[in-house]
Amino acid sequence: MARPVLRRASAAETTRSRIARLDADRALVEAARRDPERFDALYRKYVAQVYSYAYYELGDHHDAEDATERTFVSALIALPRFEERARPEDGTGASTFRIWLFRIARNVVANRRRDRRRHPVATLDALAGLADGVDVEARVSQRVEADAAWSAVARLPSDRRRAVILRFVDELSTAEIAEILGRSEGAVRVLIHRALRSVARDLGGGR
Amino acid sequence: MTFPSRDAIEVEALRTDRYLEALLGGVPTAIDAGTTDGGVAVAAAHLTSGLVRVHPSFRFEDRLASRLADLAAAMRLPVAAGGEGAVAPSILPFPLDPEVDPADPSPAADGPVEPRRRPVLIGGAVASAALSIAGAAYVAWRLGRPPADPMARAVRTVHQQRAGRPSGRIV
Repeated sequence: MARPVLRRASAAETTRSRIARLDADRALVEAARRDPERFDALYRKYVAQVYSYAYYELGDHHDAEDATERTFVSALIALPRFEERARPEDGTGASTFRIWLFRIARNVVANRRRDRRRHPVATLDALAGLADGVDVEARVSQRVEADAAWSAVARLPSDRRRAVILRFVDELSTAEIAEILGRSEGAVRVLIHRALRSVARDLGGGR
Repeated sequence: MTFPSRDAIEVEALRTDRYLEALLGGVPTAIDAGTTDGGVAVAAAHLTSGLVRVHPSFRFEDRLASRLADLAAAMRLPVAAGGEGAVAPSILPFPLDPEVDPADPSPAADGPVEPRRRPVLIGGAVASAALSIAGAAYVAWRLGRPPADPMARAVRTVHQQRAGRPSGRIV
Protein backbone atom coordinates (compact mmCIF):
# COMPACT_ATOMS: atom_id res chain seq x y z
CA MET A 1 0.00 0.00 0.00
CA ALA A 2 1.30 3.43 -0.87
CA ARG A 3 2.17 5.54 2.15
CA PRO A 4 0.49 8.87 2.48
CA VAL A 5 2.85 11.69 1.74
CA LEU A 6 3.05 14.06 4.67
CA ARG A 7 4.51 17.44 4.07
CA ARG A 8 4.50 20.79 5.71
CA ALA A 9 2.17 23.30 4.14
CA SER A 10 4.07 25.97 2.30
CA ALA A 11 3.93 29.57 3.43
CA ALA A 12 1.93 30.45 0.32
CA GLU A 13 -0.69 27.81 1.16
CA THR A 14 -0.98 28.99 4.74
CA THR A 15 -1.41 32.55 3.60
CA ARG A 16 -3.96 31.50 1.00
CA SER A 17 -6.06 29.68 3.59
CA ARG A 18 -5.96 32.68 5.91
CA ILE A 19 -6.88 34.98 3.04
CA ALA A 20 -9.71 32.72 1.94
CA ARG A 21 -11.42 33.03 5.32
CA LEU A 22 -11.44 36.79 4.95
CA ASP A 23 -13.77 36.82 1.99
CA ALA A 24 -17.26 37.23 3.39
CA ASP A 25 -18.73 35.84 0.18
CA ARG A 26 -16.50 32.80 -0.10
CA ALA A 27 -19.22 30.24 0.54
CA LEU A 28 -21.54 31.84 -1.99
CA VAL A 29 -18.77 32.13 -4.57
CA GLU A 30 -17.74 28.50 -4.12
CA ALA A 31 -21.35 27.37 -4.45
CA ALA A 32 -21.74 29.41 -7.63
CA ARG A 33 -18.56 27.93 -9.04
CA ARG A 34 -19.81 24.40 -8.43
CA ASP A 35 -23.23 25.18 -9.82
CA PRO A 36 -23.61 28.43 -11.81
CA GLU A 37 -27.32 28.51 -10.99
CA ARG A 38 -26.34 29.31 -7.40
CA PHE A 39 -24.99 32.64 -8.65
CA ASP A 40 -28.48 33.96 -7.97
CA ALA A 41 -27.63 34.44 -4.28
CA LEU A 42 -24.71 36.72 -5.13
CA TYR A 43 -26.84 38.54 -7.67
CA ARG A 44 -29.64 39.19 -5.18
CA LYS A 45 -27.14 40.34 -2.56
CA TYR A 46 -25.45 42.94 -4.75
CA VAL A 47 -27.96 43.96 -7.39
CA ALA A 48 -29.09 47.08 -5.51
CA GLN A 49 -25.52 48.19 -4.81
CA VAL A 50 -24.38 47.76 -8.39
CA TYR A 51 -27.54 49.38 -9.71
CA SER A 52 -27.15 52.33 -7.34
CA TYR A 53 -23.56 52.84 -8.38
CA ALA A 54 -24.51 52.75 -12.06
CA TYR A 55 -27.51 54.99 -11.47
CA TYR A 56 -25.55 57.71 -9.71
CA GLU A 57 -22.75 57.49 -12.23
CA LEU A 58 -24.96 57.52 -15.31
CA GLY A 59 -27.93 59.50 -14.01
CA ASP A 60 -30.39 57.53 -16.06
CA HIS A 61 -32.64 54.66 -15.11
CA HIS A 62 -32.37 52.72 -18.39
CA ASP A 63 -28.62 53.16 -18.66
CA ALA A 64 -28.25 51.96 -15.07
CA GLU A 65 -30.31 48.85 -15.83
CA ASP A 66 -28.23 48.14 -18.90
CA ALA A 67 -24.98 48.59 -16.98
CA THR A 68 -26.26 46.38 -14.14
CA GLU A 69 -27.21 43.65 -16.59
CA ARG A 70 -23.84 43.78 -18.35
CA THR A 71 -22.01 43.72 -15.03
CA PHE A 72 -23.73 40.59 -13.71
CA VAL A 73 -23.62 38.72 -17.01
CA SER A 74 -19.87 39.45 -17.26
CA ALA A 75 -19.37 38.41 -13.65
CA LEU A 76 -21.19 35.11 -14.13
CA ILE A 77 -19.21 34.27 -17.26
CA ALA A 78 -15.90 35.25 -15.67
CA LEU A 79 -16.57 33.68 -12.25
CA PRO A 80 -14.34 30.62 -12.93
CA ARG A 81 -11.42 33.04 -13.36
CA PHE A 82 -12.13 35.00 -10.17
CA GLU A 83 -9.33 34.84 -7.59
CA GLU A 84 -9.58 35.71 -3.92
CA ARG A 85 -7.00 38.30 -3.10
CA ALA A 86 -8.16 39.88 0.15
CA ARG A 87 -5.39 41.06 2.43
CA PRO A 88 -5.40 40.63 6.21
CA GLU A 89 -5.56 44.41 6.65
CA ASP A 90 -8.80 44.51 4.67
CA GLY A 91 -10.57 43.24 7.77
CA THR A 92 -12.89 40.34 8.49
CA GLY A 93 -15.82 41.83 6.61
CA ALA A 94 -13.90 42.44 3.43
CA SER A 95 -15.15 40.74 0.34
CA THR A 96 -12.86 40.41 -2.61
CA PHE A 97 -15.80 39.26 -4.70
CA ARG A 98 -17.47 42.61 -4.07
CA ILE A 99 -14.32 44.47 -5.10
CA TRP A 100 -14.06 42.33 -8.22
CA LEU A 101 -17.73 42.90 -9.04
CA PHE A 102 -17.41 46.67 -8.65
CA ARG A 103 -14.34 46.68 -10.85
CA ILE A 104 -16.44 45.11 -13.56
CA ALA A 105 -19.19 47.65 -12.89
CA ARG A 106 -16.69 50.50 -13.03
CA ASN A 107 -15.47 49.33 -16.46
CA VAL A 108 -19.01 48.85 -17.75
CA VAL A 109 -20.04 52.31 -16.55
CA ALA A 110 -16.90 53.88 -18.02
CA ASN A 111 -17.64 52.28 -21.39
CA ARG A 112 -21.21 53.48 -21.23
CA ARG A 113 -20.14 57.02 -20.44
CA ARG A 114 -17.67 56.92 -23.30
CA ASP A 115 -20.38 55.75 -25.68
CA ARG A 116 -22.71 58.58 -24.88
CA ARG A 117 -20.15 61.34 -24.40
CA ARG A 118 -21.95 63.46 -26.95
CA HIS A 119 -25.21 63.31 -25.01
CA PRO A 120 -25.90 65.34 -21.88
CA VAL A 121 -26.28 63.50 -18.57
CA ALA A 122 -29.89 63.29 -17.50
CA THR A 123 -31.02 64.33 -14.05
CA LEU A 124 -32.02 61.80 -11.44
CA ASP A 125 -35.74 62.09 -12.04
CA ALA A 126 -36.48 58.69 -10.64
CA LEU A 127 -35.49 59.90 -7.20
CA ALA A 128 -39.00 61.36 -7.05
CA GLY A 129 -40.28 57.86 -6.40
CA LEU A 130 -37.89 57.03 -3.59
CA ALA A 131 -39.89 58.29 -0.64
CA ASP A 132 -42.86 56.01 -0.42
CA GLY A 133 -44.44 57.52 2.65
CA VAL A 134 -47.76 59.32 2.58
CA ASP A 135 -46.28 62.45 4.10
CA VAL A 136 -46.08 64.71 1.07
CA GLU A 137 -44.07 67.34 2.91
CA ALA A 138 -41.48 64.80 3.97
CA ARG A 139 -41.43 63.41 0.48
CA VAL A 140 -40.82 66.79 -1.08
CA SER A 141 -38.18 67.53 1.53
CA GLN A 142 -36.40 64.26 0.77
CA ARG A 143 -36.60 64.97 -2.94
CA VAL A 144 -35.10 68.42 -2.45
CA GLU A 145 -32.37 66.96 -0.25
CA ALA A 146 -31.58 64.24 -2.78
CA ASP A 147 -31.52 66.70 -5.66
CA ALA A 148 -29.23 69.04 -3.75
CA ALA A 149 -26.89 66.18 -2.84
CA TRP A 150 -26.80 64.92 -6.40
CA SER A 151 -26.22 68.41 -7.77
CA ALA A 152 -23.28 68.86 -5.43
CA VAL A 153 -21.83 65.48 -6.36
CA ALA A 154 -22.41 65.95 -10.08
CA ARG A 155 -20.20 69.03 -10.05
CA LEU A 156 -17.24 67.08 -8.69
CA PRO A 157 -14.45 65.83 -10.93
CA SER A 158 -15.10 62.25 -12.03
CA ASP A 159 -12.57 60.56 -9.74
CA ARG A 160 -13.88 62.36 -6.64
CA ARG A 161 -17.49 61.73 -7.65
CA ARG A 162 -16.82 58.01 -8.13
CA ALA A 163 -15.13 57.75 -4.73
CA VAL A 164 -17.98 59.62 -3.01
CA ILE A 165 -20.64 57.42 -4.59
CA LEU A 166 -18.82 54.24 -3.57
CA ARG A 167 -18.35 55.59 -0.03
CA PHE A 168 -21.77 57.11 0.65
CA VAL A 169 -24.15 55.15 -1.57
CA ASP A 170 -22.53 51.74 -1.55
CA GLU A 171 -20.91 52.23 1.85
CA LEU A 172 -17.68 50.54 0.83
CA SER A 173 -14.57 50.90 2.96
CA THR A 174 -11.67 53.06 1.91
CA ALA A 175 -9.60 49.92 1.32
CA GLU A 176 -12.24 48.47 -0.99
CA ILE A 177 -12.59 51.72 -2.94
CA ALA A 178 -8.82 51.87 -3.32
CA GLU A 179 -8.84 48.37 -4.82
CA ILE A 180 -11.71 49.21 -7.16
CA LEU A 181 -10.23 52.48 -8.39
CA GLY A 182 -6.67 51.16 -8.48
CA ARG A 183 -5.31 53.81 -6.09
CA SER A 184 -3.71 53.80 -2.69
CA GLU A 185 -5.88 54.12 0.41
CA GLY A 186 -4.25 57.45 1.21
CA ALA A 187 -5.13 58.78 -2.24
CA VAL A 188 -8.75 57.69 -1.82
CA ARG A 189 -8.96 59.36 1.61
CA VAL A 190 -7.66 62.60 0.11
CA LEU A 191 -10.09 62.32 -2.83
CA ILE A 192 -13.07 61.98 -0.49
CA HIS A 193 -11.83 64.69 1.86
CA ARG A 194 -11.42 67.15 -1.01
CA ALA A 195 -14.80 66.17 -2.40
CA LEU A 196 -16.43 66.92 0.96
CA ARG A 197 -14.72 70.29 1.13
CA SER A 198 -16.03 71.11 -2.35
CA VAL A 199 -19.54 70.09 -1.33
CA ALA A 200 -19.20 72.17 1.86
CA ARG A 201 -18.21 75.19 -0.24
CA ASP A 202 -21.21 74.58 -2.52
CA LEU A 203 -23.56 74.35 0.41
CA GLY A 204 -22.09 77.49 1.97
CA GLY A 205 -22.37 79.37 -1.31
CA GLY A 206 -25.93 78.30 -1.84
CA ARG A 207 -27.11 79.68 1.41
CA MET B 1 2.32 71.96 -3.18
CA THR B 2 4.93 71.74 -0.45
CA PHE B 3 5.53 68.61 1.59
CA PRO B 4 4.22 70.04 4.88
CA SER B 5 0.91 71.04 3.27
CA ARG B 6 0.61 67.63 1.64
CA ASP B 7 1.19 65.99 5.01
CA ALA B 8 -1.41 68.29 6.55
CA ILE B 9 -4.09 67.36 4.05
CA GLU B 10 -3.32 63.67 4.49
CA VAL B 11 -3.78 64.04 8.22
CA GLU B 12 -7.05 65.89 7.67
CA ALA B 13 -8.14 63.22 5.20
CA LEU B 14 -7.38 60.53 7.75
CA ARG B 15 -9.49 62.34 10.35
CA THR B 16 -12.32 62.69 7.86
CA ASP B 17 -12.08 59.01 7.07
CA ARG B 18 -12.42 58.09 10.74
CA TYR B 19 -15.34 60.46 11.07
CA LEU B 20 -17.04 58.84 8.08
CA GLU B 21 -16.43 55.37 9.53
CA ALA B 22 -18.34 56.45 12.61
CA LEU B 23 -21.05 58.26 10.67
CA LEU B 24 -21.74 55.48 8.16
CA GLY B 25 -21.31 52.81 10.80
CA GLY B 26 -24.34 54.16 12.66
CA VAL B 27 -22.39 55.48 15.61
CA PRO B 28 -24.14 58.50 17.20
CA THR B 29 -22.98 61.53 15.27
CA ALA B 30 -22.34 63.65 18.35
CA ILE B 31 -18.72 63.18 17.64
CA ASP B 32 -16.10 65.50 18.99
CA ALA B 33 -16.22 68.64 16.84
CA GLY B 34 -12.46 68.65 16.75
CA THR B 35 -12.38 65.31 14.93
CA THR B 36 -12.92 66.93 11.61
CA ASP B 37 -13.59 70.23 9.96
CA GLY B 38 -17.09 71.57 10.67
CA GLY B 39 -17.90 72.21 7.02
CA VAL B 40 -16.75 68.73 6.08
CA ALA B 41 -18.96 67.24 8.80
CA VAL B 42 -21.99 69.17 7.51
CA ALA B 43 -21.26 68.09 3.93
CA ALA B 44 -20.86 64.49 5.04
CA ALA B 45 -24.18 64.59 6.89
CA HIS B 46 -25.81 66.15 3.84
CA LEU B 47 -24.52 63.46 1.49
CA THR B 48 -25.36 60.67 3.94
CA SER B 49 -29.02 61.69 4.01
CA GLY B 50 -29.21 62.78 0.37
CA LEU B 51 -27.36 60.01 -1.46
CA VAL B 52 -29.76 57.18 -0.81
CA ARG B 53 -29.26 53.75 -2.27
CA VAL B 54 -31.53 53.13 -5.24
CA HIS B 55 -33.12 49.75 -5.82
CA PRO B 56 -33.99 48.72 -9.34
CA SER B 57 -37.58 47.81 -10.16
CA PHE B 58 -38.58 44.30 -9.15
CA ARG B 59 -39.61 43.65 -12.73
CA PHE B 60 -36.10 44.41 -13.92
CA GLU B 61 -34.56 42.42 -11.07
CA ASP B 62 -36.62 39.33 -11.87
CA ARG B 63 -36.05 39.63 -15.61
CA LEU B 64 -32.29 39.81 -15.12
CA ALA B 65 -32.45 36.94 -12.61
CA SER B 66 -34.15 34.73 -15.18
CA ARG B 67 -31.62 35.73 -17.85
CA LEU B 68 -28.77 34.84 -15.50
CA ALA B 69 -30.48 31.54 -14.68
CA ASP B 70 -30.67 30.69 -18.39
CA LEU B 71 -27.03 31.57 -18.82
CA ALA B 72 -26.12 29.52 -15.75
CA ALA B 73 -28.01 26.53 -17.10
CA ALA B 74 -26.06 26.79 -20.34
CA MET B 75 -22.82 26.93 -18.34
CA ARG B 76 -23.61 23.85 -16.30
CA LEU B 77 -22.54 21.40 -18.98
CA PRO B 78 -18.83 22.36 -18.94
CA VAL B 79 -18.97 22.50 -15.17
CA ALA B 80 -20.38 18.98 -15.13
CA ALA B 81 -17.14 17.57 -16.53
CA GLY B 82 -16.42 16.40 -12.99
CA GLY B 83 -19.76 14.64 -12.88
CA GLU B 84 -21.69 17.23 -10.90
CA GLY B 85 -24.77 18.97 -12.15
CA ALA B 86 -24.97 16.98 -15.33
CA VAL B 87 -27.68 17.97 -17.73
CA ALA B 88 -28.81 15.67 -20.51
CA PRO B 89 -27.64 17.19 -23.77
CA SER B 90 -30.38 18.04 -26.19
CA ILE B 91 -30.41 15.87 -29.33
CA LEU B 92 -31.43 17.45 -32.56
CA PRO B 93 -33.26 15.23 -35.05
CA PHE B 94 -31.33 14.31 -38.13
CA PRO B 95 -32.40 16.65 -40.94
CA LEU B 96 -34.27 14.31 -43.28
CA ASP B 97 -35.27 17.20 -45.45
CA PRO B 98 -32.47 19.50 -46.59
CA GLU B 99 -34.87 22.41 -46.39
CA VAL B 100 -35.50 21.81 -42.70
CA ASP B 101 -33.41 23.93 -40.37
CA PRO B 102 -31.56 21.62 -37.96
CA ALA B 103 -31.52 24.37 -35.36
CA ASP B 104 -35.30 24.34 -35.22
CA PRO B 105 -36.24 21.99 -32.37
CA SER B 106 -39.62 21.14 -33.87
CA PRO B 107 -39.25 20.85 -37.63
CA ALA B 108 -42.51 18.87 -37.88
CA ALA B 109 -44.52 21.57 -36.20
CA ASP B 110 -45.78 22.92 -39.51
CA GLY B 111 -46.88 19.51 -40.80
CA PRO B 112 -45.54 16.02 -41.41
CA VAL B 113 -42.19 15.88 -43.12
CA GLU B 114 -42.03 13.18 -45.78
CA PRO B 115 -38.60 11.85 -46.54
CA ARG B 116 -37.93 12.37 -50.23
CA ARG B 117 -34.88 10.17 -50.29
CA ARG B 118 -33.04 7.80 -48.04
CA PRO B 119 -30.48 9.35 -45.80
CA VAL B 120 -26.87 8.50 -46.40
CA LEU B 121 -25.33 7.75 -43.06
CA ILE B 122 -21.61 7.38 -42.83
CA GLY B 123 -20.52 5.10 -40.08
CA GLY B 124 -24.10 4.20 -39.25
CA ALA B 125 -26.10 0.96 -39.36
CA VAL B 126 -26.52 0.87 -43.11
CA ALA B 127 -22.79 1.11 -43.69
CA SER B 128 -22.20 -1.68 -41.18
CA ALA B 129 -24.62 -4.01 -42.98
CA ALA B 130 -22.98 -3.27 -46.33
CA LEU B 131 -19.56 -4.07 -44.91
CA SER B 132 -20.87 -7.36 -43.50
CA ILE B 133 -22.11 -8.49 -46.94
CA ALA B 134 -18.83 -7.54 -48.55
CA GLY B 135 -16.95 -9.38 -45.80
CA ALA B 136 -18.96 -12.60 -46.31
CA ALA B 137 -18.34 -12.49 -50.08
CA TYR B 138 -14.60 -12.02 -49.47
CA VAL B 139 -14.40 -15.01 -47.11
CA ALA B 140 -16.33 -17.22 -49.60
CA TRP B 141 -13.97 -16.21 -52.37
CA ARG B 142 -10.92 -16.93 -50.23
CA LEU B 143 -12.23 -20.39 -49.25
CA GLY B 144 -12.93 -21.35 -52.88
CA ARG B 145 -9.50 -20.30 -54.02
CA PRO B 146 -6.55 -22.71 -53.50
CA PRO B 147 -4.12 -21.13 -51.10
CA ALA B 148 -0.58 -20.52 -52.31
CA ASP B 149 0.96 -20.66 -48.85
CA PRO B 150 1.86 -24.23 -47.66
CA MET B 151 0.99 -23.34 -44.07
CA ALA B 152 -2.45 -22.18 -45.19
CA ARG B 153 -2.94 -25.39 -47.13
CA ALA B 154 -2.06 -27.42 -44.01
CA VAL B 155 -4.49 -25.45 -41.87
CA ARG B 156 -7.29 -25.91 -44.37
CA THR B 157 -6.63 -29.67 -44.62
CA VAL B 158 -6.85 -30.06 -40.82
CA HIS B 159 -10.01 -27.99 -40.78
CA GLN B 160 -11.65 -30.14 -43.47
CA GLN B 161 -10.73 -33.37 -41.58
CA ARG B 162 -12.25 -32.01 -38.38
CA ALA B 163 -15.35 -30.91 -40.23
CA GLY B 164 -15.84 -34.51 -41.49
CA ARG B 165 -15.95 -35.96 -37.95
CA PRO B 166 -19.25 -36.41 -36.11
CA SER B 167 -19.70 -33.78 -33.47
CA GLY B 168 -20.62 -34.51 -29.84
CA ARG B 169 -19.38 -36.96 -27.27
CA ILE B 170 -19.77 -40.77 -27.71
CA VAL B 171 -20.98 -42.31 -24.49
